[in-house]
Amino acid sequence: MKTSSSYTAIAYLFLAPALILMGLFTFWPVGYNAYLAFNDYSIVDATATWNNFEHFKYLYHEELFHDALKNSLIFLLVVPVLQVAALLVAKLVNNKLPGMTFFRAAYYIPVITAVPIAGVAWLNVYRYDGLLSWFLKTIGIIQNDVNWLGEPEIAIYMVMVFTFWKGIGYYMVLYLAGLQAIPAEVEEAAILDGANAWQRFWKITVPMVKPTILLCTLLSTIAALKSFQEVVVLTRGQADTYTALYYVYAQAFTNFNFGRASAAGLVITFFCVLLAIVQFRFFGEKK
Amino acid sequence: MKLKKMLAVGAAVFGFAAVHAHADTELEFWTMNLAPKFNAYFEQAVTKFNAANPGLKAKWVDMNWDQIQPKLVASIAAGNPPALVNFNVPWVHEFAAQGNIVALDEYVGAAKNTYSAGALKDVTVNGKMYAFPWYNSVSIIAYNKDVFNKAGVKSAPKNFDELVSTAQKITKSTKTAAFAPKLDNFEGWFYYAGLPMVQNGKAVFNSPKHVAFVQKFADLYKAGVFPKDVFKMAFEQEIAAYNSGRIAMMTTAPQALKRTETDAKAVYDKTEVAAFPTDAGQRAFGAWLMDFVVPKGFKNPAEAAKLGLFLTGDEQQVLFSKATETTFPSSKKANLDPYFQAGAKSADVVERARAVAAKSMDNARTLTIPPGVLPDAASMNKKLQDEIQNAIEGRKPVKAALDEAAAAWNEKLAK
Repeated sequence: MKTSSSYTAIAYLFLAPALILMGLFTFWPVGYNAYLAFNDYSIVDATATWNNFEHFKYLYHEELFHDALKNSLIFLLVVPVLQVAALLVAKLVNNKLPGMTFFRAAYYIPVITAVPIAGVAWLNVYRYDGLLSWFLKTIGIIQNDVNWLGEPEIAIYMVMVFTFWKGIGYYMVLYLAGLQAIPAEVEEAAILDGANAWQRFWKITVPMVKPTILLCTLLSTIAALKSFQEVVVLTRGQADTYTALYYVYAQAFTNFNFGRASAAGLVITFFCVLLAIVQFRFFGEKK
Repeated sequence: MKLKKMLAVGAAVFGFAAVHAHADTELEFWTMNLAPKFNAYFEQAVTKFNAANPGLKAKWVDMNWDQIQPKLVASIAAGNPPALVNFNVPWVHEFAAQGNIVALDEYVGAAKNTYSAGALKDVTVNGKMYAFPWYNSVSIIAYNKDVFNKAGVKSAPKNFDELVSTAQKITKSTKTAAFAPKLDNFEGWFYYAGLPMVQNGKAVFNSPKHVAFVQKFADLYKAGVFPKDVFKMAFEQEIAAYNSGRIAMMTTAPQALKRTETDAKAVYDKTEVAAFPTDAGQRAFGAWLMDFVVPKGFKNPAEAAKLGLFLTGDEQQVLFSKATETTFPSSKKANLDPYFQAGAKSADVVERARAVAAKSMDNARTLTIPPGVLPDAASMNKKLQDEIQNAIEGRKPVKAALDEAAAAWNEKLAK
């Protein structure tokens, strides 16, 4: 007869491959990054020289890093909009109506389109006399063409629209899976009790997909704080669109200051963890 | 017995093969975005080099430009960098300043003098040669003859002020943007105009001359001579704008015309070319030298240099230019090859563009800030570029914008 400790040992054995891989490719790099953040690292001879908090002191006074961090935090505005939209779209395509398979696929196409390719298409949309200007002029919202990616007041929001377009299909699929896990009887019982569609959405759908909302919000928050590719493709950091991760990239691969890049990375990680704690408290199960 | 013999022969063959394989020194060289279009060129180059150099085995690897730096950094850190890496000039300066590439003087010997003076200056950092100059390019002006005629412009501009006045005339009479200069790296324009950036450890780009020069751009922007999204227009967008008639002139490398030929034949048929005029800096605009560097940590730098000298030698440079049709060698002798001037009177615009550009190559210098000057290049370039954009797009007076950027630079330079 097996004891509970031997069951535990077997369970850890099953977990071991995943834990080893996570240790190697997640925890060790994070730990090493934290170590480098307090060092000057030379790539030539792979030596690290301890320099206390100098990189953090530099970042504390660095205007560009502040701007980059501010932009990354502004980028977080996309998260609630994206989540609400993705949930509503998922609810919509969850209906058994003709053509729904097409719409599900259509919303997912941006997810599988490479960022550089999608970026080229969106550059044409955002061009001074491009599609967006033409459309808004045609329906009378604007009088003259707008330099969407050149005006510092709006450029970052234009990049966020691109992120929204690219991400909605991904979160829609996750929400769709969550919606399809809701037992049909619950909804049917609510209908029999006379609950209208709005009440059913708030009282049944939202609470039952709460774990999915937590997952999606967490994923999109981290993605927003890590926004980089879209900035490279659309603006290359110009017009006040420099983001925190773009700053890390520039410090590491333009300045070759890996210590400073690591310190900036650690600050971003700190914000990610902080926001994850807030989200777990907000959406997590109450004991 | 028979089996024993077979095994013995097999072991001998295997052993010989193993020894032979060990004897070859592999020289992997990385290029940027040249496959698959130039596979044939590199296959012949590799075959020719390997045949002429027993014991050395060149191996070509092509990758995207945005992969090459991170991959190189990773390979240096891992201790197995390739023999040669295709770099541009700013990267040569950055990597040399960091000590990540090898100074080549002791390996090149007299062959150093085969490269053109401008190209050598481009790859010289603190008096040492850090790269084998390879192919180069330079901007030309490609213009739509119909638009020029409508605007009453009789000839292509001969100097920068003429380029400005021609552009103003075109925009005034045709209500079309005249051209889309590359503004994403404005320091190049200062060098083109012969205006220094940093002197005696201080930023000097807010002098009255600098202000007046940037003001020209701001005035042109305000008058609609540039497209309003000019800061967003890279190489690809400029070609598309010219092909679709959004701009009257393309001020870019001659290879852009190949795209016009395939994508917009009607525009191509109306296209004429001229040299891009020089300004006070006496530097041809748009030069962008490509080269090969030897990363620090590669165990056989002398052998890597052999391959570098071969790939950037006269013969291979001419062959490569013939393969691309629109790039130019950085060696003195190769640039004199009749191929480059043969098309001066051709009916084909691309051939005429090649001849026009080849004549400008003597003044070709990659317009970039000297090495080791900027302590924090990423932040400083960003600041300057933001302020230049503010000034040209009219959000800030030019003087105020340049003063602010200079103050930010001086703060960093003083540390």
